[in-house]
Amino acid sequence: MVQSISTLKCASRIEILNEGGFRSDGRRQYELRSIEIDLSQQGHADGSAVLTHGLTQVLVSVFGPREAKMRSQTIHDRANINVELSIAAFSAGDRRKRSRGDKRILEFAAAIKSTFEPVIQTSLYPRSQIDIFVQVIQQDGGFLQACINATTIALMSAGIPMIDFICAVSGGVHSTSPLLDLTLLEENDVPNLTVAVMPKTRKVSLVTMETRLHVDRFEEIFKLATEAGQVIHGEMKAAILKWSKGLVKSMGHGNQDRDGGEVDEVGFD
Amino acid sequence: MASTTSLSKAEKSYIQAGLLANPPTRGDGRSAQDFRTISLQTSVAPLANGSARVSIGRDPHDGSGGTEVLAATKLEVESVDLGSGSGGVNGGRVMCSVTCSPAAYPHLSSAALDDLQYDLTTILNSTLTHPSLHPKNLTILPGKKSWLLNLDLVVLVDSGNVFDALFLAARAALWDTKVPRTRSVEYKARKAGGGGEGGEKGDMEVDEEVVSGFDTRQIRHATDFELPDYWDEGEELDGRDRWPVCVTLNLVPPAHFLDATLEEEAAIPLRLLLMFSFDSDEPHIQGMRTMGNGELTVPQLGELLKEGEKYARQIWQSLNAKLKEEELGRIKERNKF
Repeated sequence: MVQSISTLKCASRIEILNEGGFRSDGRRQYELRSIEIDLSQQGHADGSAVLTHGLTQVLVSVFGPREAKMRSQTIHDRANINVELSIAAFSAGDRRKRSRGDKRILEFAAAIKSTFEPVIQTSLYPRSQIDIFVQVIQQDGGFLQACINATTIALMSAGIPMIDFICAVSGGVHSTSPLLDLTLLEENDVPNLTVAVMPKTRKVSLVTMETRLHVDRFEEIFKLATEAGQVIHGEMKAAILKWSKGLVKSMGHGNQDRDGGEVDEVGFD
Repeated sequence: MASTTSLSKAEKSYIQAGLLANPPTRGDGRSAQDFRTISLQTSVAPLANGSARVSIGRDPHDGSGGTEVLAATKLEVESVDLGSGSGGVNGGRVMCSVTCSPAAYPHLSSAALDDLQYDLTTILNSTLTHPSLHPKNLTILPGKKSWLLNLDLVVLVDSGNVFDALFLAARAALWDTKVPRTRSVEYKARKAGGGGEGGEKGDMEVDEEVVSGFDTRQIRHATDFELPDYWDEGEELDGRDRWPVCVTLNLVPPAHFLDATLEEEAAIPLRLLLMFSFDSDEPHIQGMRTMGNGELTVPQLGELLKEGEKYARQIWQSLNAKLKEEELGRIKERNKF
């Protein structure tokens, strides 16, 4: 990972996939970067998560369901989802300050919103609003993927009912060999797409691509990405389970202190 | 600046009465001069030239609550050219900007958030870009290229006392900043061949070729620069000891207290921000600002200045100790390999 930064700095022509089948940061073709999920409480948010994919780091805070700040935004039969995205000016290689109204930011926010609309059970909360605030702290490729995964986790920690997880992953093709979870360096050189899947129902809620990809290659990479979504789902599920077990345990301690009773072990599956 | 939390009259008077009691009592059991725990970490952003994360009052066990600020500096090359309109100045520039995450102020509309950001930016910018604090090593090529130092701060969570946190983070990030070493490149035209006119004055030219290192009349013609590959990221920013710290005195006349929480901030009529720098023998006030609709007499202000200096010195000393410790830790880390 460190290597990918240093090569970025000297801006030399890099080899995407070398003869030994390794990528610029030492990964194999289908290898994902390390995922770290931190579910600790952030400020006043109802639910929050810090998710790290390699060097990409995203902090998501979820507020709600609550009364909308603007009454005009309320919908009479379901909750309105409001996504606000901000990117730290120092997050990428060159400094770039984007204002709140930046077209690119609005586009990403809309993509995140439409990804989550089918999974959040908004009809349970009519006339209310769910705010999702995404703060990008570091970027090294896979920006949308990190935002979507972090949002899934944050929504869950906020206790918002959802039909399924949403797990996103980016993929690309270097000549004929598909790659997964691209770094910034690879994203700049290789046609790439981001796929968000619902692992249980096996549905897809987002596919985006901003580059050109040969039709024949699409199926292969799409299949791979949906498979990788299952792997990411495993990681996310493990993190959520660990966190909620911790919560149940501390609730148990509270009960024990109060009435000295035994607490049943709560089972998850 | 509009307060971000709204309190009822009863709550306000309850908090004020507690602060004016003898001894003063606060909601979380602190005394008037007590700070919440401050934690600081430097070099948190790998793509920045220097960075720091500061949190005041974060619960160490579950990581909840507390004001949290992220600061990072980034250096950009700017050309010093009056005609080009790039805004570069000989000797480099420093610019600060503060961004507030909407999650930090969940009740503010986006227009109000923009106003708040602007206010915070102005205070930081006017204090930190003062000529007396300007680092001297931001020049790359005199009169041609210089560094633009961008200091970006992000308020992730505000649980009161955001100014102290912002200045702590700013000082730590600037302390952590490394300026890349540069080497100037000069393009020299080949001397004209020995023949022709030059040949006649040959002897004189030989004399001129020997250039003394002490010759200050020599005009440098460096046109460009390169970044030599070094083992470290560069030299530290000049005058990094000077960057001020801020202490916010929250006033409930005649009493004052430090490190207010959001509720306390909403309950008091006046705040006084003091920015101190203790680099030289005499402490310097780098900035001062009152906030709120209360009033203050000159004798009171004098008294507060003395008190504020005392508090700021403590903050200064403990921050310096922490920064040195962080730096030592990093050197140890590096020497492992």
